[in-house]
Amino acid sequence: MQRTTINRRSVLAAGAGAALSMPFIRPSWAQAQTVRALMWEAYVLPDVVSKFEQDNNVKFVATFFDGNSEAYNKLRVGGAKEFDLVQADGFWPQLYFREELIRSVDYAHVPSATSYLPEFKPENFKVLTDAASGAKIGYPFCWGAYGITYDAAAVEPEKTDTIACMFDPALSGRLSTSARFEENIALAALLVTDRLGSRDKPRPDGKPFNPYVLTDEELGEIQKLLVEQKALLLTRYQDNPTLFQLLQSGAVVAATEFAQVFRQLLTAKDGNPKEDFRHALKMKEGGLGWVDTWLVTSGVEDGPRLELCNRFIDRMISAEVMKRIGETAGCSTTIDLRSISSEEDRKLYLMDRSSEIADLFMFDQPSSPEKWERVWSNVQAA
Amino acid sequence: MADPDNRWNRRLFLHVPAIFLVLFFVLPLIALVILSFWQTENYKIVREWSATNYVTLATEPAYFVFFVRSLFLAIGVSIFSVAVSWPIAFFIVRHGGRYKLILSLLLAVPFLSGEVLRLISLQGMLGPTGLVNGVLLKIGSAPLRFIMYSNWATFIALVYLYLPMVVTTVYLSLLNFDFRLTSAASSCGANRFQVFCEIVWPLNLSGTIVGFLLCFIPTLSASLAPRFLGGPSGVLYGMSIAQQFGESGTWALGAAMGVVLFLFSMAVLGVFSLGIDLRRTGFTGMGRL
Repeated sequence: MQRTTINRRSVLAAGAGAALSMPFIRPSWAQAQTVRALMWEAYVLPDVVSKFEQDNNVKFVATFFDGNSEAYNKLRVGGAKEFDLVQADGFWPQLYFREELIRSVDYAHVPSATSYLPEFKPENFKVLTDAASGAKIGYPFCWGAYGITYDAAAVEPEKTDTIACMFDPALSGRLSTSARFEENIALAALLVTDRLGSRDKPRPDGKPFNPYVLTDEELGEIQKLLVEQKALLLTRYQDNPTLFQLLQSGAVVAATEFAQVFRQLLTAKDGNPKEDFRHALKMKEGGLGWVDTWLVTSGVEDGPRLELCNRFIDRMISAEVMKRIGETAGCSTTIDLRSISSEEDRKLYLMDRSSEIADLFMFDQPSSPEKWERVWSNVQAA
Repeated sequence: MADPDNRWNRRLFLHVPAIFLVLFFVLPLIALVILSFWQTENYKIVREWSATNYVTLATEPAYFVFFVRSLFLAIGVSIFSVAVSWPIAFFIVRHGGRYKLILSLLLAVPFLSGEVLRLISLQGMLGPTGLVNGVLLKIGSAPLRFIMYSNWATFIALVYLYLPMVVTTVYLSLLNFDFRLTSAASSCGANRFQVFCEIVWPLNLSGTIVGFLLCFIPTLSASLAPRFLGGPSGVLYGMSIAQQFGESGTWALGAAMGVVLFLFSMAVLGVFSLGIDLRRTGFTGMGRL
């Protein structure tokens, strides 16, 4: 029979093991001191976060994502208890709420919510209202479209009245789109369904036309169109800085984007002479729009943690912070900043055009991610 | 009776790495295989066993195209890297003198920065406004379109990323090679070409194959280089796998693609390992015995 002895080496090894594992063990009392957010990186303002941490004696931990589907996957895999706050846009918050990943919210606990632009006030902005219960499910944050930014010196402004501009052989090698497959397909869907005249026909889900809910025939036509477009593209940009460089250098003269690069181009302080950059928000076939939101996960129960979440959202949608986020991220805000903005900023950030959001098709979940993935793969392989 | 200290040492040096490998290599691999036989539907995993994902891979031409693209690129990059590595390694070994070690360590300098950083800098170099095309435009020449967002750009990036690995491997092989053999062959009347083809190359073939594989395997699954530099027609198999696990959320199909890649890589390793004699790879030093 072997005798187990405790010697100095085993004690040292056990001590070292315990010390190494300490950072990975979180006691329950420490958990209440952390606010965990699943969010877009562009919206992090380090000094605002630090101030929030100081004022509330908490630690803010952010996890970043790019597209909604990625966030949705992270939220589902990690479970709603892994995060306190999550961001999403378009109709994604509705999906989160249906799947009980997020909880209802009360605007009365977030004082800054009284400053929303009329279109985003709770009584008007129905995208964040649960149809069954009437409960509010999140807070609008920034808004925008997926329009066309173009150099008016190289592209006639009239051309950008239509999405066909992005499929124009005359601009071959000088076009670019983002690498996001959902928006590439949805934008092409607007052009295809307009050409086919299929929007008014019965839709697969029995609801009014939505470019994210498409028939197989429409998807087939979209695939053909995107394959044709591929030969005209210089590249599909992965990030805004790349698109900024391509547009500024003149290598690309028209690109679909969220108007963020458009604003960065107009406000760049690099001493280079500015081209005549413009942005088409909505084309004659329609346009895609998004409203980024702040949502509270279902893992957050009533009490101190919810209050902490409300305080964070209140800070983030305060006029002072929203103005800075608009300038940093290059997006339009849902809070009314007109009284504290210059005339130039009002135009640049579309502050007087927020009503146009109602005419745009909101970002949504593809009707069949599997079919859409197949279409996208076929386009990439062609 | 076994010495308890020895027993403890054996546990530490054998069991710990074994547990690490089981936890972080074998188990994830098993999970990947299981997932590949399930389905994903609307971003949800459906735990129903079927070979649908493999049928999709076998019947949908897109994935085959990605694979063939990757395969040709991996072969091209690996052969090119070996061809470029040989003269570099040969020069260091024969003419490096006392600076041999420093010269070989210089090969590791690119690894001091991250892969993404290196790719972004390369993007700046090869892009439409980059160093190469910028200079061409300045002197009134047309830009080189083929290096902008194309498979050629990916080729250049992959060679840049993996060339140091191949050079190091060939260098280590040559370092252990007894060059007196070449003198003997020359004395017997062999010309330089014959010396290389019949003495130097065959006796360093194992090291060369190892270098080839160290370049071939990661290139076959490359996802970052084509993403940053490949352009609209430059999607490779590894990039497509990343897409399945990322934005499209079709994890089960991505898992099946991963399993196929793993099996193919293992088969390539198996075939090439037949030609490898470890004593001649340069790593053991036994080649001198």
